[in-house]
Amino acid sequence: MTRILLVEDDEMNRDMLSRRLVKRGFDVTIATDGQQGVDLARSNHPDIILMDMSLPVMDGWTATRTLKDDSETVGIPVIALTAHAMAGDQEKALAAGCDDFDTKPIELKRLLGKIEGLLQKEG
Amino acid sequence: MSGQGGGMDAAGREARRGSALLRLSTGIAAAQDEDAVCEAVVSGLQDRALGYDFVGVFLVDPETGDRVLRASVGWEGTHEGYRIEPGKGLSERPLLDREVHYSPDVASERSHVHAAADGSEVDLPLMVDDELVGVVVVESAERNAFGTEDLEILTAAAQQAALAIGRVRLLEVERHRSAEFRALLDTMKDISGELEISKLLHALLERAVGLLGVTGGELAVFDEEGGNLLIAASHNMGSDAVGSRMQLGEGAMGRVAQTHEPLVIPSYQEWSLRSAQYTRDTVQSVVAAPLLIGSRLVGVIAAVHSDPVRGVGQEDLRLLELFAPQAAVAIENARLFSAERKRAEEQRALLDTMADLAGQLDLGRLLQDLLKRSVRLLDVTGAELAIYQEEVGDLLIAASHQMGADSVGTRMAPGDGAMGRVAETHEAIVIPDYPAWEGRSEKYVDGRVQTAMAAPLMIADRLLGVIAVVHSSPERRFGDADLQLLGLFATQAAIAVENARLFTAARHREQYFEDLVQNNPVAIVTLDLNFDITSCNPAFEELFGWSKEEVLGQNLDQLVCDEDSVDEAASYTDHAYSGMVARGMAKRRRRDGTLVDVELAGVPVMVDGEQVGIMGLYHDITDLLKAQGDADAANRAKSNFLANMSHELRTPLNAILGYSEMLAEEADEDGNDGYIADLNKIHTAGKHLLALINDVLDLSKIEAGKTELYLETFEVGQMVEDVIDTIRPLVEKQGNTFEVECPESVAGMHSDLTKIRQILLNLLSNANKFTEGGTVSLAVTREGGDDGDWLTFRVRDTGIGMTPAQLERVFEAFTQAEASTTRNYGGTGLGLAITRRFSHMLGGDVGAESWEGEGSLFTLRLPARAPVASPSEADLGEASEEGPGESGTVLLVDDDPVARSLLRRILTKADFRVIEAGDGSEGLRMAREHTPDAITLDVIMPGMDGWATLQAIRGDSDLADTPVIMLTVLDDRSMGDALGATGYLTKPVDRQELVETMRIHCGSGSAAS
Repeated sequence: MTRILLVEDDEMNRDMLSRRLVKRGFDVTIATDGQQGVDLARSNHPDIILMDMSLPVMDGWTATRTLKDDSETVGIPVIALTAHAMAGDQEKALAAGCDDFDTKPIELKRLLGKIEGLLQKEG
Repeated sequence: MSGQGGGMDAAGREARRGSALLRLSTGIAAAQDEDAVCEAVVSGLQDRALGYDFVGVFLVDPETGDRVLRASVGWEGTHEGYRIEPGKGLSERPLLDREVHYSPDVASERSHVHAAADGSEVDLPLMVDDELVGVVVVESAERNAFGTEDLEILTAAAQQAALAIGRVRLLEVERHRSAEFRALLDTMKDISGELEISKLLHALLERAVGLLGVTGGELAVFDEEGGNLLIAASHNMGSDAVGSRMQLGEGAMGRVAQTHEPLVIPSYQEWSLRSAQYTRDTVQSVVAAPLLIGSRLVGVIAAVHSDPVRGVGQEDLRLLELFAPQAAVAIENARLFSAERKRAEEQRALLDTMADLAGQLDLGRLLQDLLKRSVRLLDVTGAELAIYQEEVGDLLIAASHQMGADSVGTRMAPGDGAMGRVAETHEAIVIPDYPAWEGRSEKYVDGRVQTAMAAPLMIADRLLGVIAVVHSSPERRFGDADLQLLGLFATQAAIAVENARLFTAARHREQYFEDLVQNNPVAIVTLDLNFDITSCNPAFEELFGWSKEEVLGQNLDQLVCDEDSVDEAASYTDHAYSGMVARGMAKRRRRDGTLVDVELAGVPVMVDGEQVGIMGLYHDITDLLKAQGDADAANRAKSNFLANMSHELRTPLNAILGYSEMLAEEADEDGNDGYIADLNKIHTAGKHLLALINDVLDLSKIEAGKTELYLETFEVGQMVEDVIDTIRPLVEKQGNTFEVECPESVAGMHSDLTKIRQILLNLLSNANKFTEGGTVSLAVTREGGDDGDWLTFRVRDTGIGMTPAQLERVFEAFTQAEASTTRNYGGTGLGLAITRRFSHMLGGDVGAESWEGEGSLFTLRLPARAPVASPSEADLGEASEEGPGESGTVLLVDDDPVARSLLRRILTKADFRVIEAGDGSEGLRMAREHTPDAITLDVIMPGMDGWATLQAIRGDSDLADTPVIMLTVLDDRSMGDALGATGYLTKPVDRQELVETMRIHCGSGSAAS
C-alpha cells in the first residue's frame, strides 16, 4: 500500500484530502506543521509527501529543503501544494527541491495523476 | 648848416643834432604806411637844428620809372605827385649807381632841374633789400653847405627810411590780403544767410566792386538750357541791364563765357567788341572773369572803372580771379540751396525719428509722430499709416494724422483703397484725382482727400505696412520728387516700425524670462565662466536659506555641497560647461547645514554660439520622494493584501469545492442520486467563485503594474496546438465545429507565451460560450510592414452576436451583454478586460466586430517581438526608443550623444534593438541589466574609459562572453587584444562595416536571446 505523508495545517483541507486519499486506498499519515512533517518523514519514510507551503513552525520550503539536504530523505518525492495566483510560490517550491506541484483547490484526478507519475519514476 | 649856425658851439650843435636824429628815427618807426614814412623823413630832416632848406622824398613808379614826389618841405610850387621822368635831374644819380651823391655847387651841374638854383645838394638812394624804391633829396641855398657829418646823418636817415618803407609795404600786402580774406569770409557768411539767389548775386557783386575799388560791375549767370548769359546783378552801370540776355561771344562777358578765360580791357571805348550800352561816363576799362565750378561755367563777373587814369589792371584781375571761384561756389550753393534745405530737413526728420526710437517704446505714439513729420515734410494735409498683420493678412490702421474721422484700429483688406492696393502690389502709387479714382475708399467722401500718394513700408521683401499722404486741394500735384521723398520716408519708417517691434518683442521676451525666473518655484542660479554666482531667484534663496546679496560672486559648488557631494557636483558643472545639459538627483546643503534632496539640471547658457555661463536649476524633491515612498509602501500593502486575500478566500473555497465533490462521489456510491444534482450545483458555483477571484486578482495585478512579462521565443504553431487541445472538448460539448488555420509560415515570436495562451483561451471560450451548433474558428497570419513584424489572431464565431451598444462596452470590466448573460452563459465578465490589457502590455491590441444574431469577430494583433518596458530605461529617458530588434540587441557605450544617435540610426535600420549608455560605468550597469547580444565601446570617455570598461566586462562572469566591438579613432589593437576585445571599428564608422560586424557577432537568427 502506498504510504503518503500529508503535511497540511488547515484542518478542513487536511480532513477532506486525507479522506479522499484513504478512500482510494492510500495509507495516509498526517503532519500539521513543517517540523512535524520533517520528523515524520525521517521516522516513517513515506513513499511520497504532499507538502503545503505556508505552514507554521517551519514553512514548506524550508521543510522540503531540509529533507532534500538529508541523504536519508532525499529520495522521497515531494509534491508542493500551492495557491493558484502565487506564481512565485511554485517557482520557489521547485527551487527548494520539490519534485512537482499542484495548485489548490485540489482537483483530485489531476493530483492522483501526478502522484502516480512520480511513484512510477521512483519505482 | 655850418654857415648858418656859426655862432654855436660844437657841443651844443652835436646835442641838438642827436635829438633831431632821434625824433627822425621815432617818427619813421611809428609810420604805418609809405606816405607816413615819407612825411616822417621830411619833417625829421627839416628840423631847424639841421638847417636844411629843402627836403623831398621821391618814390619810383615801377610802371613808368618816374620819380614821384611823396613828401617835401621848403620848395615853393612843388606838390605831392610831382613827377620827374627818367633821364632828368640830379636826383636820378643814386638810382643809376646806388651811391650817395653830393654836389657842393649845383649850379655847375648841367642836368640840375632848377637851372636857376644855386647852392649845394645831397641825393641819397632808398634801397629796400636790393631794390631801389626812391630817392631822398636834401638841398641848401648855400654852396658847400654839407660837411662829412651831415652826409653821415643823411645816409643813416635814408637807410632808416628805406627799412621803414620795406616794412610798411609788407604791411600793406598783408593788410590787403587780410581784407580780401575778410571779404571772402563775409561773402560766404552772407551766402549761408542769404536765401534768395538774386539778393545773393547783388551782394556778391557789390562786394567784388568794393574789394577791387572799381566804380561798377555786372554779374551774369549762365543758363545751361538756353546756352546764353542772363544778367542777374548790376552795380553802378548806368542803365540797369538786369534781366537781359547776352549770347556767348557777345561783349566782354560773352567772350569770357565763350573762352572760359579772364579778360582785361584797358580802354573799353576803343575795344572793337564794345557794347554801345556802356558810355564813357561809366565804363573806361573792364576786367571780367568766368565763374567756374571745375570746368563747368556758372556765370561771368565783370568789374569796370569809369576813370581812364585809374583804369583796371592785372592787380584787379588777380583779385577778381581770387574772388571768382568763391563766387561760383556761392552761386552754385545758392542754386542747390532749396534742395539742400529740403534734404537737411529730411535728414533732421529722420534723425528725430531715430532718436525717438530710443525713448519711444509705444509703437502707436511712434507712428503718430512719424505721420506728423511726414505731413510737415511732404507739405500735405493728412496722412495715415497702416501696419500689415502677417497672421491675418490684412492692414490695421495704426496711426492717422489730420484725416478727419479717426480710423485708427480699423482694418482694411489687401486691395481695398490706395493703401490696400499698395499692400497688394508692394509698389508706391500716386493718385492725382482721388474722388475720380476707381479704387477709392468710401471712407473719404467728404472731399478731404483730393490727391493721394501711398508707399509700402518694406524690410527686404517683407511688407510691414503702408504709409499714405493726402492733400485736400486738387492743385497739389505729387511729382517724382514727392514720391521719392515718401519712399525714403517709408524706408526709414519701416526700419523704425521694425525696430520698435523688435524692441517690444525683445522687451517682452526679457520681461517674460525675468518673470519666469523670479516666479519660478524651481531654484535658479546663474554662473559665469569662473563658476561664480551672478544671479539667483527667490526660490533659490528660499531653498538654500542664503540671500541673493550673500551668494553673489560665491562659488556655487562650495556653497551648496558638502564633502560627500562636491566631486559629484563638479562633474555636473563640468558637463554643463562642456555645452551639454547635465541632469541628476542629489543631496545639497542648506545654509543651516541640513541636506535637501533635489533634482538638478546644469544648463549651458549660450549667446551667439558662445558659452557665457551656466544656469543651475534645483527642484526640491523632498515631498516627491516622500510621496514616492508612501506610494511604494501603499503599493506593497496592496500587493500583500491581494496575496493574503487570495489565500484567505481560497482556503474556505477549497473546502467547499473539495467536500461538495467528495459528497457527490459518496452519494453516487451510496445510491443517493437525489443529492448529486444539488452537490454539483454547489461545486459549479464554487468553481465560478474561484474563477472570479482569479480574474479579480489578475486585473488588480495589471492595474497595480504588478504583472510581469516573461518574454521567450516560441513557435506560434505549437502554442496554438496547445490552446486547441485545451479548448476542443468545450467546443465539442457545445456542438460547435472548430476550424483552425495556422500556416507554418507564421513561424516564431518573442513574447509572453502564457499570456498569449490565456488571451486565446479567453477569446475562444468566449466565442464558444455564445455559440451553439455553429462554428468557432481561429486564423493566424503574419505580416511584415514598415512598423515591423506583426502576428494577427482572428477568432470568429457564428453565435448570438452583440448589439452595437454591447459591442461598445465589451472590453470593460464587469460587463457582459446583460446581467442575465452571466446566469445563462457563465463567465466572470472580466476575461475580455484582462485580454485587452494583456494585449496592450505585449505591444498590441485586440478589437471586436459583431453582427447581432450572426456572430462576432475578435482580432488580436501582436508584434512578433514584444517591446521591453524596463523601468530604469524609461527613467533615463534617452536609452529607449526600440527598434524591432530582429537582429539582436546592441548596447552602445559612447560619451558623445551625436555619435550614439548616428550609430543608433544605422543599427535600428538594420533591425537591431539599440540601448545606450553615456559612460563606462553606466554601460557596465546596463550590460548587467540587459545582457545585450553585443556591445560597442568608445575608447576615449571621461571617467571610466573604454579600456577600463572592457576590462570590467571581461571580469564579469555574466558578461565575459558578450562580444565587445571597440569603436575608436586610435587604432590600438594590441591593447584591445590584451584586454579581450572582440573586434575593432575605426571612427568615422563605415555603415556597411558596422552592420556586418554586428550581424556576425549577434548571430543572424531571430532567436536572439
